[in-house]
Amino acid sequence: MDCEKVGDVAFQGDKMDVLYGEADCAVRARVEQHLAGCAACREEMAALSAVRRNLAAWRLPVARPSFAARGIVVPRWLGAAALLLLGFGATLGATGYASLRRALATQEARADELERRQRETVRALEARIEQSTRPAPGAAALLASLDSRMEEKLRAAEKTQADRLDLRLADWEERTEAQRRVDMARVAASLSYLDGRHGQQLARTNELMGYVLEASRKR
Amino acid sequence: MGRSDEELVEACQSGEASAFDILVARWEDRIRGAAFRFLGSEEEARDVAQEAFLKAYRALSSFKREARFSSWLYQIATNLCRDRLRRRRTRATVSLEALEETGPVMVETRPGAHERLLERDLARAVRRAIDALPEEQREVVILKEYQELTFLEIAHALDVPVSTVKTRLYRGLDQLRLRLEREGVRGAAPLPVPAP
Repeated sequence: MDCEKVGDVAFQGDKMDVLYGEADCAVRARVEQHLAGCAACREEMAALSAVRRNLAAWRLPVARPSFAARGIVVPRWLGAAALLLLGFGATLGATGYASLRRALATQEARADELERRQRETVRALEARIEQSTRPAPGAAALLASLDSRMEEKLRAAEKTQADRLDLRLADWEERTEAQRRVDMARVAASLSYLDGRHGQQLARTNELMGYVLEASRKR
Repeated sequence: MGRSDEELVEACQSGEASAFDILVARWEDRIRGAAFRFLGSEEEARDVAQEAFLKAYRALSSFKREARFSSWLYQIATNLCRDRLRRRRTRATVSLEALEETGPVMVETRPGAHERLLERDLARAVRRAIDALPEEQREVVILKEYQELTFLEIAHALDVPVSTVKTRLYRGLDQLRLRLEREGVRGAAPLPVPAP
Protein backbone atom coordinates (compact mmCIF):
# COMPACT_ATOMS: atom_id res chain seq x y z
CA MET A 1 0.00 0.00 0.00
CA ASP A 2 1.71 3.12 -1.21
CA CYS A 3 -0.25 5.86 0.53
CA GLU A 4 1.42 7.88 3.26
CA LYS A 5 -1.94 8.08 5.08
CA VAL A 6 -1.79 4.31 5.74
CA GLY A 7 0.84 4.88 8.40
CA ASP A 8 -0.80 8.03 9.79
CA VAL A 9 -1.97 7.16 13.30
CA ALA A 10 -4.58 9.93 13.45
CA PHE A 11 -6.00 8.90 10.10
CA GLN A 12 -6.04 5.27 11.23
CA GLY A 13 -8.28 6.42 14.08
CA ASP A 14 -10.54 8.22 11.64
CA LYS A 15 -10.79 5.08 9.53
CA MET A 16 -11.75 3.07 12.60
CA ASP A 17 -14.45 5.64 13.38
CA VAL A 18 -15.85 5.25 9.87
CA LEU A 19 -15.53 1.46 9.86
CA TYR A 20 -17.51 1.15 13.11
CA GLY A 21 -20.01 3.94 12.45
CA GLU A 22 -18.73 6.27 15.14
CA ALA A 23 -17.47 9.03 12.88
CA ASP A 24 -19.07 12.45 12.99
CA CYS A 25 -19.89 14.22 9.74
CA ALA A 26 -16.53 16.00 9.47
CA VAL A 27 -14.45 12.85 9.98
CA ARG A 28 -16.63 10.87 7.64
CA ALA A 29 -16.36 13.51 4.92
CA ARG A 30 -12.59 13.70 5.37
CA VAL A 31 -12.14 9.94 5.07
CA GLU A 32 -14.52 9.58 2.14
CA GLN A 33 -12.80 12.40 0.32
CA HIS A 34 -9.46 10.67 0.75
CA LEU A 35 -10.80 7.26 -0.21
CA ALA A 36 -12.29 8.69 -3.38
CA GLY A 37 -8.84 9.55 -4.64
CA CYS A 38 -6.73 6.78 -3.04
CA ALA A 39 -6.95 3.20 -4.29
CA ALA A 40 -4.56 1.92 -1.61
CA CYS A 41 -6.72 3.17 1.27
CA ARG A 42 -9.91 1.97 -0.46
CA GLU A 43 -8.34 -1.45 -0.76
CA GLU A 44 -7.28 -1.38 2.87
CA MET A 45 -10.74 -0.38 4.09
CA ALA A 46 -12.29 -3.17 2.02
CA ALA A 47 -9.84 -5.69 3.48
CA LEU A 48 -10.52 -4.55 7.05
CA SER A 49 -14.22 -4.69 6.39
CA ALA A 50 -13.82 -8.26 5.10
CA VAL A 51 -11.90 -9.18 8.24
CA ARG A 52 -14.82 -7.89 10.29
CA ARG A 53 -17.21 -10.07 8.28
CA ASN A 54 -15.00 -13.11 8.92
CA LEU A 55 -14.80 -12.36 12.63
CA ALA A 56 -18.54 -12.83 12.87
CA ALA A 57 -18.03 -16.55 12.22
CA TRP A 58 -16.72 -17.10 15.75
CA ARG A 59 -19.90 -17.40 17.75
CA LEU A 60 -20.35 -18.21 21.38
CA PRO A 61 -21.02 -21.88 22.10
CA VAL A 62 -24.68 -22.76 22.35
CA ALA A 63 -26.41 -26.01 23.35
CA ARG A 64 -24.79 -29.41 22.76
CA PRO A 65 -24.95 -30.73 19.15
CA SER A 66 -28.16 -32.49 18.23
CA PHE A 67 -28.40 -36.22 17.48
CA ALA A 68 -28.59 -35.46 13.78
CA ALA A 69 -25.37 -33.47 13.91
CA ARG A 70 -23.72 -36.49 15.51
CA GLY A 71 -24.85 -38.67 12.58
CA ILE A 72 -27.51 -40.67 14.49
CA VAL A 73 -30.65 -41.40 12.43
CA VAL A 74 -33.94 -41.32 14.35
CA PRO A 75 -37.58 -41.30 13.11
CA ARG A 76 -38.75 -37.76 12.51
CA TRP A 77 -41.75 -37.96 14.85
CA LEU A 78 -39.59 -39.42 17.61
CA GLY A 79 -36.93 -36.83 17.01
CA ALA A 80 -39.48 -34.03 17.09
CA ALA A 81 -41.07 -35.33 20.28
CA ALA A 82 -37.70 -35.80 21.93
CA LEU A 83 -36.60 -32.35 20.84
CA LEU A 84 -39.80 -30.83 22.20
CA LEU A 85 -39.34 -32.60 25.52
CA LEU A 86 -35.66 -31.79 25.64
CA GLY A 87 -36.30 -28.20 24.71
CA PHE A 88 -38.98 -27.89 27.39
CA GLY A 89 -36.74 -29.55 29.97
CA ALA A 90 -33.70 -27.57 28.92
CA THR A 91 -35.62 -24.31 29.06
CA LEU A 92 -36.93 -25.14 32.51
CA GLY A 93 -33.50 -26.34 33.62
CA ALA A 94 -31.65 -23.42 32.12
CA THR A 95 -34.09 -20.89 33.54
CA GLY A 96 -34.02 -22.53 36.93
CA TYR A 97 -30.27 -22.90 36.86
CA ALA A 98 -29.72 -19.31 35.76
CA SER A 99 -32.06 -17.91 38.38
CA LEU A 100 -30.57 -20.23 41.00
CA ARG A 101 -27.09 -19.07 40.12
CA ARG A 102 -28.16 -15.44 40.19
CA ALA A 103 -29.85 -16.00 43.51
CA LEU A 104 -26.73 -17.72 44.83
CA ALA A 105 -24.51 -14.92 43.61
CA THR A 106 -26.78 -12.35 45.19
CA GLN A 107 -26.99 -14.28 48.45
CA GLU A 108 -23.24 -14.66 48.54
CA ALA A 109 -22.81 -10.97 47.87
CA ARG A 110 -25.27 -10.12 50.62
CA ALA A 111 -23.57 -12.53 53.04
CA ASP A 112 -20.23 -10.95 52.25
CA GLU A 113 -21.67 -7.52 52.75
CA LEU A 114 -23.21 -8.57 56.07
CA GLU A 115 -19.92 -10.09 57.16
CA ARG A 116 -18.08 -6.93 56.18
CA ARG A 117 -20.51 -4.79 58.17
CA GLN A 118 -20.18 -7.08 61.18
CA ARG A 119 -16.43 -6.89 60.99
CA GLU A 120 -16.66 -3.13 60.86
CA THR A 121 -18.95 -3.11 63.88
CA VAL A 122 -16.59 -5.37 65.80
CA ARG A 123 -13.65 -3.18 64.87
CA ALA A 124 -15.54 -0.06 65.99
CA LEU A 125 -16.48 -1.72 69.29
CA GLU A 126 -12.90 -2.84 69.86
CA ALA A 127 -11.70 0.68 69.21
CA ARG A 128 -14.24 2.08 71.69
CA ILE A 129 -13.29 -0.47 74.34
CA GLU A 130 -9.63 0.28 73.85
CA GLN A 131 -10.33 4.00 74.10
CA SER A 132 -12.44 3.63 77.25
CA THR A 133 -9.87 1.40 78.97
CA ARG A 134 -6.93 3.58 78.02
CA PRO A 135 -5.70 5.52 81.19
CA ALA A 136 -5.96 9.31 81.29
CA PRO A 137 -2.66 11.24 80.94
CA GLY A 138 -2.45 12.17 84.70
CA ALA A 139 -3.50 8.77 85.86
CA ALA A 140 -0.12 7.13 85.25
CA ALA A 141 1.54 8.83 88.24
CA LEU A 142 -1.46 8.14 90.45
CA LEU A 143 -1.39 4.51 89.40
CA ALA A 144 2.35 4.31 90.15
CA SER A 145 1.91 5.79 93.68
CA LEU A 146 -1.02 3.46 94.30
CA ASP A 147 1.14 0.56 93.18
CA SER A 148 3.95 1.48 95.58
CA ARG A 149 1.53 1.99 98.49
CA MET A 150 -0.08 -1.31 97.81
CA GLU A 151 3.34 -2.93 97.72
CA GLU A 152 4.24 -1.39 101.11
CA LYS A 153 0.97 -2.58 102.65
CA LEU A 154 1.58 -6.01 101.28
CA ARG A 155 5.12 -6.12 102.69
CA ALA A 156 3.90 -4.96 106.15
CA ALA A 157 1.16 -7.60 106.14
CA GLU A 158 3.66 -10.26 105.13
CA LYS A 159 6.03 -9.21 107.99
CA THR A 160 3.23 -9.33 110.59
CA GLN A 161 2.21 -12.74 109.37
CA ALA A 162 5.81 -13.98 109.56
CA ASP A 163 6.24 -12.63 113.12
CA ARG A 164 3.01 -14.25 114.25
CA LEU A 165 4.08 -17.49 112.70
CA ASP A 166 7.46 -17.38 114.50
CA LEU A 167 5.76 -16.74 117.85
CA ARG A 168 3.34 -19.56 117.31
CA LEU A 169 6.18 -21.91 116.34
CA ALA A 170 8.17 -21.01 119.49
CA ASP A 171 5.08 -21.62 121.62
CA TRP A 172 4.55 -24.98 119.97
CA GLU A 173 8.17 -25.96 120.51
CA GLU A 174 7.92 -25.04 124.23
CA ARG A 175 4.75 -27.00 124.68
CA THR A 176 6.14 -29.97 122.85
CA GLU A 177 9.27 -29.96 125.05
CA ALA A 178 7.20 -29.82 128.22
CA GLN A 179 5.02 -32.66 126.99
CA ARG A 180 8.12 -34.65 126.14
CA ARG A 181 9.50 -34.18 129.63
CA VAL A 182 6.23 -35.26 131.25
CA ASP A 183 6.12 -38.32 129.03
CA MET A 184 9.73 -39.24 129.86
CA ALA A 185 9.00 -38.91 133.62
CA ARG A 186 5.99 -41.19 133.28
CA VAL A 187 8.03 -43.75 131.36
CA ALA A 188 10.77 -43.64 134.03
CA ALA A 189 8.22 -44.08 136.83
CA SER A 190 6.65 -47.00 135.04
CA LEU A 191 10.04 -48.63 134.52
CA SER A 192 11.01 -48.26 138.14
CA TYR A 193 7.67 -49.71 139.17
CA LEU A 194 8.21 -52.64 136.88
CA ASP A 195 11.75 -53.07 138.21
CA GLY A 196 10.36 -53.13 141.80
CA ARG A 197 7.75 -55.75 140.95
CA HIS A 198 10.35 -57.85 139.24
CA GLY A 199 12.70 -57.69 142.29
CA GLN A 200 9.98 -58.79 144.67
CA GLN A 201 9.05 -61.75 142.50
CA LEU A 202 12.70 -62.72 142.21
CA ALA A 203 13.08 -62.65 146.01
CA ARG A 204 9.91 -64.71 146.43
CA THR A 205 11.19 -67.22 143.85
CA ASN A 206 14.55 -67.48 145.66
CA GLU A 207 12.73 -67.97 148.92
CA LEU A 208 10.60 -70.75 147.50
CA MET A 209 13.63 -72.33 145.87
CA GLY A 210 15.34 -72.28 149.28
CA TYR A 211 12.41 -74.10 150.79
CA VAL A 212 12.49 -76.68 148.01
CA LEU A 213 16.25 -77.25 148.44
CA GLU A 214 15.92 -77.56 152.23
CA ALA A 215 13.05 -80.11 151.93
CA SER A 216 15.01 -82.24 149.44
CA ARG A 217 18.05 -82.18 151.66
CA LYS A 218 15.94 -83.39 154.58
CA ARG A 219 14.68 -86.30 152.59
CA MET B 1 -38.82 1.77 29.92
CA GLY B 2 -36.85 0.29 32.83
CA ARG B 3 -34.40 2.12 34.96
CA SER B 4 -30.93 2.83 33.58
CA ASP B 5 -27.87 1.08 34.98
CA GLU B 6 -26.81 4.18 36.80
CA GLU B 7 -30.25 4.59 38.39
CA LEU B 8 -30.13 0.99 39.52
CA VAL B 9 -26.68 1.52 40.99
CA GLU B 10 -27.99 4.53 42.86
CA ALA B 11 -30.90 2.45 44.16
CA CYS B 12 -28.42 -0.21 45.35
CA GLN B 13 -26.35 2.44 47.07
CA SER B 14 -29.41 3.62 48.95
CA GLY B 15 -30.16 0.09 50.17
CA GLU B 16 -32.39 -1.46 47.51
CA ALA B 17 -30.50 -4.74 47.17
CA SER B 18 -32.90 -6.18 44.59
CA ALA B 19 -31.79 -3.50 42.12
CA PHE B 20 -28.50 -5.35 41.84
CA ASP B 21 -30.36 -8.50 40.71
CA ILE B 22 -31.63 -6.51 37.74
CA LEU B 23 -28.10 -5.40 36.90
CA VAL B 24 -26.87 -9.00 37.10
CA ALA B 25 -29.69 -10.21 34.86
CA ARG B 26 -28.98 -7.40 32.40
CA TRP B 27 -25.22 -7.84 32.10
CA GLU B 28 -24.39 -11.41 33.07
CA ASP B 29 -24.58 -12.93 29.59
CA ARG B 30 -22.49 -10.19 27.99
CA ILE B 31 -19.82 -10.30 30.68
CA ARG B 32 -19.70 -14.07 30.45
CA GLY B 33 -19.46 -13.86 26.67
CA ALA B 34 -16.54 -11.45 26.86
CA ALA B 35 -14.81 -13.62 29.45
CA PHE B 36 -15.31 -16.69 27.28
CA ARG B 37 -13.67 -14.98 24.33
CA PHE B 38 -10.78 -13.82 26.51
CA LEU B 39 -10.25 -17.17 28.22
CA GLY B 40 -11.69 -19.77 25.83
CA SER B 41 -13.34 -21.70 28.65
CA GLU B 42 -17.03 -21.65 29.54
CA GLU B 43 -16.32 -22.78 33.09
CA GLU B 44 -13.81 -20.04 33.71
CA ALA B 45 -16.04 -17.49 31.98
CA ARG B 46 -18.86 -18.32 34.39
CA ASP B 47 -16.50 -17.98 37.35
CA VAL B 48 -15.19 -14.66 36.08
CA ALA B 49 -18.69 -13.29 35.53
CA GLN B 50 -19.72 -14.29 39.04
CA GLU B 51 -16.54 -12.90 40.55
CA ALA B 52 -16.93 -9.65 38.61
CA PHE B 53 -20.44 -9.11 39.97
CA LEU B 54 -19.31 -9.90 43.49
CA LYS B 55 -16.48 -7.42 43.22
CA ALA B 56 -18.79 -4.83 41.74
CA TYR B 57 -21.29 -5.36 44.55
CA ARG B 58 -18.63 -4.99 47.20
CA ALA B 59 -17.22 -1.87 45.61
CA LEU B 60 -20.59 -0.37 44.73
CA SER B 61 -20.28 2.31 47.38
CA SER B 62 -17.13 3.62 45.67
CA PHE B 63 -18.73 3.73 42.20
CA LYS B 64 -19.01 7.26 40.86
CA ARG B 65 -21.64 8.41 38.42
CA GLU B 66 -19.14 9.93 36.00
CA ALA B 67 -18.33 6.45 34.71
CA ARG B 68 -20.81 4.11 33.08
CA PHE B 69 -21.64 1.03 35.10
CA SER B 70 -21.09 -1.26 32.09
CA SER B 71 -17.60 0.13 31.43
CA TRP B 72 -16.75 -0.30 35.08
CA LEU B 73 -18.05 -3.87 35.03
CA TYR B 74 -16.07 -4.66 31.88
CA GLN B 75 -13.01 -3.19 33.54
CA ILE B 76 -13.40 -5.53 36.51
CA ALA B 77 -14.02 -8.54 34.27
CA THR B 78 -11.09 -7.68 31.97
CA ASN B 79 -8.76 -7.42 34.94
CA LEU B 80 -9.97 -10.75 36.28
CA CYS B 81 -9.37 -12.34 32.86
CA ARG B 82 -5.90 -10.81 32.71
CA ASP B 83 -5.11 -12.33 36.11
CA ARG B 84 -6.30 -15.72 35.00
CA LEU B 85 -4.34 -15.56 31.75
CA ARG B 86 -1.25 -14.57 33.70
CA ARG B 87 -1.69 -17.50 36.07
CA ARG B 88 -2.42 -19.80 33.16
CA ARG B 89 0.85 -18.82 31.49
CA THR B 90 2.68 -20.15 34.52
CA ARG B 91 0.59 -23.32 34.73
CA ALA B 92 -0.04 -23.98 31.03
CA THR B 93 -3.49 -25.60 31.33
CA VAL B 94 -5.65 -26.75 28.43
CA SER B 95 -9.38 -26.14 28.56
CA LEU B 96 -11.93 -28.80 27.74
CA GLU B 97 -13.21 -26.65 24.92
CA ALA B 98 -9.75 -26.54 23.45
CA LEU B 99 -9.53 -30.33 23.65
CA GLU B 100 -12.94 -30.60 22.04
CA GLU B 101 -11.78 -28.42 19.18
CA THR B 102 -8.91 -30.74 18.41
CA GLY B 103 -11.03 -33.88 18.81
CA PRO B 104 -12.28 -36.15 16.03
CA VAL B 105 -14.39 -34.54 13.35
CA MET B 106 -17.77 -36.08 12.47
CA VAL B 107 -18.31 -36.76 8.79
CA GLU B 108 -21.53 -35.13 7.72
CA THR B 109 -23.42 -36.08 4.61
CA ARG B 110 -26.60 -34.06 5.05
CA PRO B 111 -27.47 -31.18 2.72
CA GLY B 112 -25.74 -27.97 3.74
CA ALA B 113 -23.10 -29.94 5.65
CA HIS B 114 -20.31 -28.62 3.47
CA GLU B 115 -21.21 -25.02 4.22
CA ARG B 116 -21.40 -25.78 7.94
CA LEU B 117 -17.98 -27.41 7.86
CA LEU B 118 -16.55 -24.39 6.06
CA GLU B 119 -18.12 -22.10 8.61
CA ARG B 120 -16.70 -24.16 11.47
CA ASP B 121 -13.25 -24.09 9.91
CA LEU B 122 -13.52 -20.34 9.51
CA ALA B 123 -14.62 -19.96 13.15
CA ARG B 124 -11.61 -21.98 14.27
CA ALA B 125 -9.27 -19.98 12.08
CA VAL B 126 -10.71 -16.74 13.48
CA ARG B 127 -10.37 -17.98 17.04
CA ARG B 128 -6.78 -19.06 16.48
CA ALA B 129 -5.97 -15.72 14.85
CA ILE B 130 -7.52 -13.76 17.73
CA ASP B 131 -5.78 -15.94 20.31
CA ALA B 132 -2.47 -15.20 18.62
CA LEU B 133 -2.90 -11.42 18.90
CA PRO B 134 -0.97 -9.51 21.57
CA GLU B 135 -3.14 -9.20 24.69
CA GLU B 136 -3.78 -5.47 24.37
CA GLN B 137 -4.96 -5.81 20.76
CA ARG B 138 -7.02 -8.90 21.54
CA GLU B 139 -8.87 -7.12 24.34
CA VAL B 140 -9.81 -4.22 22.10
CA VAL B 141 -10.88 -6.46 19.21
CA ILE B 142 -13.10 -8.56 21.48
CA LEU B 143 -14.66 -5.62 23.28
CA LYS B 144 -15.34 -3.78 20.02
CA GLU B 145 -16.20 -6.56 17.65
CA TYR B 146 -18.12 -8.94 19.92
CA GLN B 147 -19.24 -6.81 22.84
CA GLU B 148 -20.00 -3.83 20.60
CA LEU B 149 -18.79 -1.25 23.09
CA THR B 150 -18.09 2.26 21.85
CA PHE B 151 -14.51 3.49 21.67
CA LEU B 152 -15.16 5.64 24.72
CA GLU B 153 -16.54 2.72 26.72
CA ILE B 154 -13.53 0.58 25.80
CA ALA B 155 -11.23 3.41 26.80
CA HIS B 156 -12.93 3.55 30.22
CA ALA B 157 -12.91 -0.21 30.60
CA LEU B 158 -9.21 -0.51 29.80
CA ASP B 159 -8.24 2.81 31.34
CA VAL B 160 -6.43 4.06 28.21
CA PRO B 161 -7.04 7.03 25.89
CA VAL B 162 -9.57 6.67 23.07
CA SER B 163 -6.81 7.23 20.48
CA THR B 164 -4.93 4.25 21.93
CA VAL B 165 -8.02 2.10 21.62
CA LYS B 166 -8.37 3.01 17.95
CA THR B 167 -4.70 2.39 17.22
CA ARG B 168 -4.79 -0.99 18.93
CA LEU B 169 -7.93 -1.93 17.04
CA TYR B 170 -6.46 -0.87 13.71
CA ARG B 171 -3.32 -2.90 14.34
CA GLY B 172 -5.32 -5.83 15.63
CA LEU B 173 -7.51 -5.91 12.53
CA ASP B 174 -4.47 -5.63 10.30
CA GLN B 175 -2.81 -8.54 12.11
CA LEU B 176 -5.97 -10.58 11.80
CA ARG B 177 -6.14 -9.85 8.09
CA LEU B 178 -2.58 -11.13 7.61
CA ARG B 179 -3.11 -14.22 9.78
CA LEU B 180 -6.38 -15.17 8.13
CA GLU B 181 -4.82 -14.76 4.71
CA ARG B 182 -1.99 -17.06 5.79
CA GLU B 183 -4.60 -19.61 6.89
CA GLY B 184 -6.13 -19.45 3.42
CA VAL B 185 -9.27 -17.61 4.48
CA ARG B 186 -10.59 -15.66 1.55
CA GLY B 187 -11.91 -12.20 2.17
CA ALA B 188 -15.63 -12.11 2.66
CA ALA B 189 -17.81 -9.51 1.03
CA PRO B 190 -17.04 -6.14 2.57
CA LEU B 191 -19.37 -4.82 5.21
CA PRO B 192 -21.35 -1.78 4.21
CA VAL B 193 -19.86 1.23 5.90
CA PRO B 194 -22.39 2.27 8.54
CA ALA B 195 -24.04 5.64 8.35
CA PRO B 196 -23.09 8.10 11.08
